[in-house]
Amino acid sequence: MTKMNKRVACIGAGMTRFVRRAQESTGELASLAVEMALKDAGLTMNDIDSVCLGTAPDAFDGIHMKGENLIAGSGGANKPYMRHFVGGGTGVFSPIHGWMHVASGQFKTCLVVTEEKMSPCNPHPAGAFKTIFDHTTEQPLDLTLIHIFAIEMARFMHKYGYKEEELALISVQNKLNAMDHPAAQIAQQITVDDVMNSKLLSWPVKRLDISPTSDAAVAIVLSNEDVARAQTKHPVFIEGVGYRLDTAYWCTRDLAYPDYVELAARDAYKMAGITSPEQEIDIFEPYDPFDYKALHHMNGLLLDKSGKKVKELLFSGSFARDGSHPLCPSGGALGVGNPIAATGLMKIAELYFQLSGQAGKRQVKKDCRRGVAQAWGDLMQVGTVVVMGNDEAVRGRKTFWSEAVPEQLPGTAIKNPQDVPHMSYTPDLRYSWDNGYALTTYLDGFKNGKIRGSKCSSCGRMMIPARSFCELCNLKAVEDYYDLPDSGTIETFTLSHVDWDSSMLPDGQINMFAVISIDGAAKKMGLVHRLGDVDPKDVKIGMRVKAVWKPENEREGNVLDLKYFRPLKDGEAIGEPKRIKPVEMDSTTAKAFPGQIPMSYIYTAGIAGAKFYNDFAQGRVSGTWCEHCQKVHLPTASFCEYSLKKLDPTKDAREIDAKSGVIASYTVVHDDRSGHQMDKPQVVVQISYPEAVGTIFGKLETSDVTAVKAGMNVELIPSRTVGEGLMFKTC
Amino acid sequence: MKIFVMGIGLCGTFPASGGQSYRELIARAASQAYSDAGITADQLDGAVSIEEDLISGYSISDEYVPDQLGVVKKSVYTICGDFLHGLNSAVMTLKTGQYKMLVVEGYSKASNCLTKDETLTFAYDPTFNRLGVSPHYLAGIEMQQLLADGKYTKEDVANVVVQMRKNALANPQAAYGTNLTIGDVLGARPVAEPVTENMIARHADASIALVIGTEEVVKSAKNPVCISGMGWTSGNSIIERRPHNISEGTKAAAQMAFSEAKIANAKDCEVLYVSDLYAHRALMHMDALGLEKDAIERINPDGGVLGMGDLFEANSGARVYDAVQQLRGHAGTRQINNAKKAMVQGWRGLPTDSCAVTVLEA
Ligand SMILES: [Zn+2]
Ligand SMILES: [Zn+2]
Repeated sequence: MTKMNKRVACIGAGMTRFVRRAQESTGELASLAVEMALKDAGLTMNDIDSVCLGTAPDAFDGIHMKGENLIAGSGGANKPYMRHFVGGGTGVFSPIHGWMHVASGQFKTCLVVTEEKMSPCNPHPAGAFKTIFDHTTEQPLDLTLIHIFAIEMARFMHKYGYKEEELALISVQNKLNAMDHPAAQIAQQITVDDVMNSKLLSWPVKRLDISPTSDAAVAIVLSNEDVARAQTKHPVFIEGVGYRLDTAYWCTRDLAYPDYVELAARDAYKMAGITSPEQEIDIFEPYDPFDYKALHHMNGLLLDKSGKKVKELLFSGSFARDGSHPLCPSGGALGVGNPIAATGLMKIAELYFQLSGQAGKRQVKKDCRRGVAQAWGDLMQVGTVVVMGNDEAVRGRKTFWSEAVPEQLPGTAIKNPQDVPHMSYTPDLRYSWDNGYALTTYLDGFKNGKIRGSKCSSCGRMMIPARSFCELCNLKAVEDYYDLPDSGTIETFTLSHVDWDSSMLPDGQINMFAVISIDGAAKKMGLVHRLGDVDPKDVKIGMRVKAVWKPENEREGNVLDLKYFRPLKDGEAIGEPKRIKPVEMDSTTAKAFPGQIPMSYIYTAGIAGAKFYNDFAQGRVSGTWCEHCQKVHLPTASFCEYSLKKLDPTKDAREIDAKSGVIASYTVVHDDRSGHQMDKPQVVVQISYPEAVGTIFGKLETSDVTAVKAGMNVELIPSRTVGEGLMFKTC
Repeated sequence: MKIFVMGIGLCGTFPASGGQSYRELIARAASQAYSDAGITADQLDGAVSIEEDLISGYSISDEYVPDQLGVVKKSVYTICGDFLHGLNSAVMTLKTGQYKMLVVEGYSKASNCLTKDETLTFAYDPTFNRLGVSPHYLAGIEMQQLLADGKYTKEDVANVVVQMRKNALANPQAAYGTNLTIGDVLGARPVAEPVTENMIARHADASIALVIGTEEVVKSAKNPVCISGMGWTSGNSIIERRPHNISEGTKAAAQMAFSEAKIANAKDCEVLYVSDLYAHRALMHMDALGLEKDAIERINPDGGVLGMGDLFEANSGARVYDAVQQLRGHAGTRQINNAKKAMVQGWRGLPTDSCAVTVLEA
């Protein structure tokens, strides 16, 4: 890294309201943020050279390759467009990818868009997190995100000596800050007691320690310095960026401190010429999906593994908006809401507002020249950091953003998707993962009541799960396998009242999960598993435990053959690592591990879709007049994908003669949606109407598939069924 | 700033790859690429992986990238696109001047995904485009329109399959080399007429890794190849308002890449690759690149997607691998004479028209 010489500026921002459930479709949400960002930057789509999109798992919106679905809404149609992804770190990575577009010299401008619609996911978006864990060695344990957060929070508290009520201060502050944010979803004035008395979900995590799930989109416009100077007197520059990704073997590191954030911050500081972040940075927007996370990340951002600086700042009230080190002046994920990727970009937008003096009521008291935003994600694994700065401190500007109130931001909150036109859908997503050489031997160990590791001859680490290469030694081959003692030490743990799908466990049931470093393995090398035969109150970090195995005839060669770990008895013997012969690979021993992504969805049809299907049910077709294109768009549209101007599907509706449709193209389809051959082929037709640009896809009701021809006149068959209800018949 | 491919690795392609986990499959391609580049993993600044969640069976697939590439705690991100999108993004990363050497990786464990059509159906817009039938329906719509234009016949489309599968027969790394006739292809089971089973690429498993670097670090590589032009463009995602007889994405991406590479058109390249994920798409892409249909004999000497198998996001990675072999003169019996420039066109697959073009020079 070197000091940055090509300057890239943020010159505009836009965002929807953050809501629990939005009526807008995925693409519609994005389009609303884009329209505002363009307006804020004083540019049109013609001025945009490239578009990049950040959005987190496909499993939220419920659209595979959702970046592709988001092209139109993001302004990416017929433009250089790409989607980048680093899990929960995506939001702050988004301006980094945008910066690459411009700093590389490839483009003058880049529109950076983030979108997340978590509400289609059923029964709860949290369920999607089950499948972020290793499919073979962890998913069978029914873990979800809240468990791993709780596990990390417990470790953080243990290592840095925080009490739960001290961490709650962050939740209280951020939710209060959010009262002044026009997009905020759960801004509220609460007390530490409220947090402490909120429902215990997975000790030490309580309901009010957590940010909510949300639907929203945020967009910003980045440009090179020339464009920025021409557009605004107050450009805010990206001065440094960093992004680092740690190992996916998350049970092999101390979760108390985020090395990956520190490394990312060091990269960004080097580019920005920052040597002392505590002195040289005025505003901090660390990722705060949970209250402790803001502090955990701040340790990394201040490059302070001792944690002393952050503790001092917290207890001295310095994190308040009028303090010396304002933290999350926006209100953060805890207050504004947490539509994952959009949250990160909301933090970047906050730095832009603050550093260009248009944060209104949220403007921090001190003069500020520099801010840092950070996001985090994956399996406690990725840190993304952006440092932004201005030419000179500025405050008190009166702009749209300084005065914005919630009513001025777009986005339609709904209570229940079933109240509007919608579609229910359950994808059938099943897998069988090849175990490969190392995991075959590892899982064979479970069948035999053994925990197996493999040893790297270069670094000497005994690793579990066994692997066939060393990730830290230039992929050195690892071919030495051992049976290890089935005992170990609890590094951290959670006592959980919630199941993987976020539902509460039956009263009295507590699932105990712990990260256990295994005896005989390298330091901190461990695995996650359940605890049993112990009163939850007695579980402690540092407790010695031993595996309890299923009876031999019930073992199947997976991680559930180990029922749980129980406390080690006094004087109980511990074995020694024993070198073993790995399983020989042949076509019977080479096994695969079954799995699935167990989600279902309820999608709203969106604002345009609602109008379209209401018409369709009455046998009518209406398009939407676009002033920009001077054409009628079909199907019904709530935005124009060329200009990204907002359209009103009702006010701009243009009735189209429903009987004027002709077959533009067609195909006789023999397989169903899963690829199974159907008894009777079906005809899919693309219908065009002379009065409109655009077409409608649907199925044709016909008894003779061979008679179908292009140019045939068709009419629709009225239906209220979204998607599969799109049917036509010949006139 | 000039960016070079320093090393390449390909493990595959296999119809299935039992006995190797995805991590092991990727570690192998990465190790090949590193030794080809004359480097070790610790010299890398980071990685760009190209993949998409549900195909891999994960909800946050980028978690599982750094270990098997040996780049733990380095600067790593994922692009959800075709391999060329990721490669182009990685080139931009280097061109910022802040990074010097990266590995670009894509893989497919298609054989581990048991419900592939279901997953593809899941990529269609839920409000307007999930019709309860095979997701290949859009291929049928496209091919129907292409034929209706009159420029190509269904025999031309079938000939693409014959050529690609034949090319693959000469490539020891290709999973699906065979001899077919035009009659075989047209007479195969119809899926979304006029598209038949044979016109849709079968899936395969493979991993691909490329090491790319700046002029400053290229010295360690014995056979570097220059990336001289890149472009990418996505056609409209609203399929109701996108033309289905041309690939606008390819046209715009090519313009961008060709102007950067300072070439007039695709014909200036001795080695040509286009995405033939569906046979008719190869013709559409060639058309957008200004290539006549008889140029099919020069396209995809490695066998293309039809011959090597559909590797999802990794598809164009296999093409770039072959392009580098060709430019180095290492392509064996399929070596194209006097190969100085290669053009690779990639497509994300249905329901998209997201395309990218990269030009490489010896
Ligand atoms: Zn090692
Ligand atoms: Zn328009």
